[in-house]
Amino acid sequence: MSKWIVETNQLTKKLGGKAVVSDVNLRIKEGDIYGFLGPNGAGKTTTIRMLLGLAKPTYGHVHIFGHELARKRIEILRKVGSLVEYPSFYGHLTAYDNLEAVRRLLDVPRSRIDQVLEVVRLTKEARRAVKGYSLGMKQRLGIATALLGQPQLLVLDEPTNGLDPAGILEIRELIKRMPQEHGVTILVSSHLLSEIDQMANRVGIITKGKMIFQDETQVLRQQARSRIQLAVSEPEEAWRMLLAHGYHVDWDRQQLTAELTDDKAVATMVAALVQHEFAVYRVQEESASLEQIFLNMTGGEGSL
Amino acid sequence: MMRMFRSEWMKLRRTVIWALAVISPLLAGVTGFLSAGDYENGQEGVWQIALGIMGLLHAMLFLPLLTGVFAALLCRFEHTGGGWKQLLALPVSRSSVYAVKFIYIMLLLAITQLLFLAALLATGLLLGFAEPIPWRMLLVSALGGWLACLPLAALQLAVSVAWSSFAAPLAVNVIFTIPNILIINSAQYGPYYPWAQPLLAMVPRDEMGFGAFNLSPETLLGVILVSFVVFLLGGWGYFIRKAV
Repeated sequence: MSKWIVETNQLTKKLGGKAVVSDVNLRIKEGDIYGFLGPNGAGKTTTIRMLLGLAKPTYGHVHIFGHELARKRIEILRKVGSLVEYPSFYGHLTAYDNLEAVRRLLDVPRSRIDQVLEVVRLTKEARRAVKGYSLGMKQRLGIATALLGQPQLLVLDEPTNGLDPAGILEIRELIKRMPQEHGVTILVSSHLLSEIDQMANRVGIITKGKMIFQDETQVLRQQARSRIQLAVSEPEEAWRMLLAHGYHVDWDRQQLTAELTDDKAVATMVAALVQHEFAVYRVQEESASLEQIFLNMTGGEGSL
Repeated sequence: MMRMFRSEWMKLRRTVIWALAVISPLLAGVTGFLSAGDYENGQEGVWQIALGIMGLLHAMLFLPLLTGVFAALLCRFEHTGGGWKQLLALPVSRSSVYAVKFIYIMLLLAITQLLFLAALLATGLLLGFAEPIPWRMLLVSALGGWLACLPLAALQLAVSVAWSSFAAPLAVNVIFTIPNILIINSAQYGPYYPWAQPLLAMVPRDEMGFGAFNLSPETLLGVILVSFVVFLLGGWGYFIRKAV
């Protein structure tokens, strides 16, 4: 058995001759919260549908728990819980009956229903028809359904889509708790970098069907090169002076910024400013937002 | 398969689908009762006449329509709430999902047929038919009507699975059911028309000696079984490959 829980090789899906997902090599290891990030329409959901056997890859392979999905679909899916795109439910049934319909297929003890309702805090509402639920409650029911079979891998596609900030926070906390408390590995997709940044320890970024980044979240953050922002009297003169002394500084008629990171260089630059009798009001670090990195990587397109 | 069956039952048990199974037999019962003048007391073959009167509307119109409605309703749960995705991402085989849907359609139709039989018996007993009940003829008729729904059920299930709309498969079904009135007159095309098969199989041949009714039961059964297999395999083959 390989060390990867999920491993895809050259996973490709073509629709009408166009590659919606192209050569994606996904690697998720045990205990990961893997953030699958990309703008809308980048191929996230298509990839996830192929991971769950809902759609067939045009070519490429999916291995989950070390087995090939195409050969052992049912065995693999027994250990996978999923929520794809938007929560699925039967509106005329109560939350309890919805879970019961799925429970009968999974053949797990009836007590699991109360347990998962407890986890997503729907116990009190469990006897109401789901069509009267708010979106947040439906989303939570979807997660409860995914958890029902005590999965070892949880696949959550845009689980916070359409939720209010409180709902988002709640789902996020729930996801973060999961690997420690239940020992599951999680694949969570989102088009919001800040979301993934707060949950995931590993990130894969996909755009136009291609994986453009896959590594620890730390590595992604390191790419956020910080800049030093200077607030001085007569910034334009200060800019000229600093350029003349060989510092890399930018002046955009509002802000003076320097592309520096190491402490010594900052110190000498500030000293130079003081020597030339500029008043230094503020020296502050401005770290490039992950959003900015993401935009750079995706070629400036996509909604964030 | 059994788990699948019990899960499906969860979704079905509190729906209007059960009420639908009652409507047609009820209407047939009323028709039969109101046609009291047509049965002269002591007349020979009075049960057969009653079956002809009641079965006509039931088998020509309601049975094919209900087959389509049942198929569409069984798929509607899945289409509206994104159920296909959830269901097929669970450890179940697609074949068993399809098979269970089909079995439920046939089960609902079996209930409809039993209720029709009950309505017929009730009419006869209430009107005091002097003749003893011809069990054999009545059972053959009900069972024949049910078997003749097999190809149509397979066809409608395939259409209902393919189209996420609830109304579209129903509209198709209605459009193809209405011409029944004409098509049963044709000995050439009638037997091959899935929407007409329930009527041909159900109504006693002696009662309607024209058009497609002159066909031998063996030929009709053969056509029904062959088209059933073709439609079922076609729908099943489509479903197991379908991307959801």
